[in-house]
Amino acid sequence: MFLGTIVYALVNSVILALMAIGFNLTFGISGVANFAYGALYIFSAYASWMLMNLLHIPYLPAAVISILLTTLLGALMYRFVLLRIRGQVLSEVIATFGIGLAILELFRYLGFVGFEYTLPVFIDRSFFIAGTYVDMQRIIIVIAGVLIVVALWIFTHHTAVGLAFRGIAQDERTALSLGIDSDWIATLSVSFGAGLAALAATIIIPLGSISPGEGYDVLIKALAVCIIGGLGSTGGVIVASFIIGFAERFTDSYIGSHWTMIVSLAAILIVLIVKPSGLFGKQKELEERI
Amino acid sequence: MLEVRNLMVFFENALAINDLSLQVHAGEIVGLIGSNSAGKTTLMNALSGLIIDMRIKEKRRGGERITLYGNIIFNGEDITATKPSERVKKGIVLCRERHPVFPESSVVENLKIAGYLKKRQQIRESIESVFDIFPALGKLKSRKAGFLSGGEQQMLTIGMALVVRPKLLLLDEPLLGLSPMMQQVVMEAIVELKQNSGITVLLSEQFARPVLPVIDRGYVVENGMLSLSGSGQELMANPEIKSAYFGI
Repeated sequence: MFLGTIVYALVNSVILALMAIGFNLTFGISGVANFAYGALYIFSAYASWMLMNLLHIPYLPAAVISILLTTLLGALMYRFVLLRIRGQVLSEVIATFGIGLAILELFRYLGFVGFEYTLPVFIDRSFFIAGTYVDMQRIIIVIAGVLIVVALWIFTHHTAVGLAFRGIAQDERTALSLGIDSDWIATLSVSFGAGLAALAATIIIPLGSISPGEGYDVLIKALAVCIIGGLGSTGGVIVASFIIGFAERFTDSYIGSHWTMIVSLAAILIVLIVKPSGLFGKQKELEERI
Repeated sequence: MLEVRNLMVFFENALAINDLSLQVHAGEIVGLIGSNSAGKTTLMNALSGLIIDMRIKEKRRGGERITLYGNIIFNGEDITATKPSERVKKGIVLCRERHPVFPESSVVENLKIAGYLKKRQQIRESIESVFDIFPALGKLKSRKAGFLSGGEQQMLTIGMALVVRPKLLLLDEPLLGLSPMMQQVVMEAIVELKQNSGITVLLSEQFARPVLPVIDRGYVVENGMLSLSGSGQELMANPEIKSAYFGI
């Protein structure tokens, strides 16, 4: 049981990291806490489902189209709403939460609720690992999680746009004086964050079903991970994902599943009391937020 | 190359730049000498477009506290309302005061970030030439910029601007916080830039002593207005300058 718990804790940790990494990217670059993040995650899943079931497009192209659509939606959100209120934290939170609420509740209103709203697993197989059965989708999640983190690192360290992301994150005015357009980079950061939410949904949703309520859960989990890790720190997000992921699975296995959420919330409270800026959070002036 | 015509900048009711006109010709080093609060940084921000960016962002939020009158002409084109990124594309690059770098990125990464608008090959060549101009930086390639000394950060700031390959380099108080020896190193590098790369330089500074011998022409700014102008030698010989800046 112990080894099995470790295997599922590992998978759970990677899922949390995937859920949080896009939220973290957007906040790290543009400073926008995108509270529509969970809704974008669910939007992408429903978009894939509709493309597959209404337009009969195979899953892979449907997933690609929905990731692109969600990325575009993120960019539109920034250009038409966030651009005007950027820097006003409360307005950003209210606006993005309102957009998220509208998206999720629209799906609920239109009747997109029920167990038939699912996405297929990539490969329908299971393996016996460390004394427990693990399905191929979970293994794919772990591999994809590692690949996405590596790809993100390469992107932010070896591409012009990625380096510009880091420049804006550290000192927007200096970046501006070097010809980096902060509005364009912030638009990209919100749309990339939305794209990462969509990518996470494509990989994770096949483990369960699509529901508007899941959007709120994803937002809360992303927030929990980012707050514990230190908002804007990718290293912090990964470490926090493992702390919460392991804490949740071990609580589930050895104490009781009804304590799982309490453990996560207690972790947030303890970190906020001991280190208010999160485990890897630094003073804004000194931090590199990617 | 650059002509500023009757520029006025207001921050709400405060007049930061008052009817200021000046010219910078291609290939010159022009100094802008002034004490604290004279309006040097505001002028540099107006020339680089940072003020326009601030104004755009304020306007989006429903407030407009920055007002600009007058014209900024660069190579015959009116760029008064042009965004900073567009001005950089035209060749105007600003090194802001207090040598701001990207503190958590390495020296090489700082230079690469600065090359956002350039091709990979150009960036590679520019980085090599920056290390030729500032050999001290070449030994610190992997060090985080936040851990460099003030002088090294100033070299890096100028190096970042050079990666952009400017036609007009704006240096806002490049000697601020540097030791006399490091001030000498930075001034020598600026002269070398002009001689070897033909870059036109407009530098603002409150330390007149190391600047005046090097500049081709200079302006003295007080309370947002020009009070004196002339060649570096003329300004050095001026009794008012001697009294105000050299304590003689």
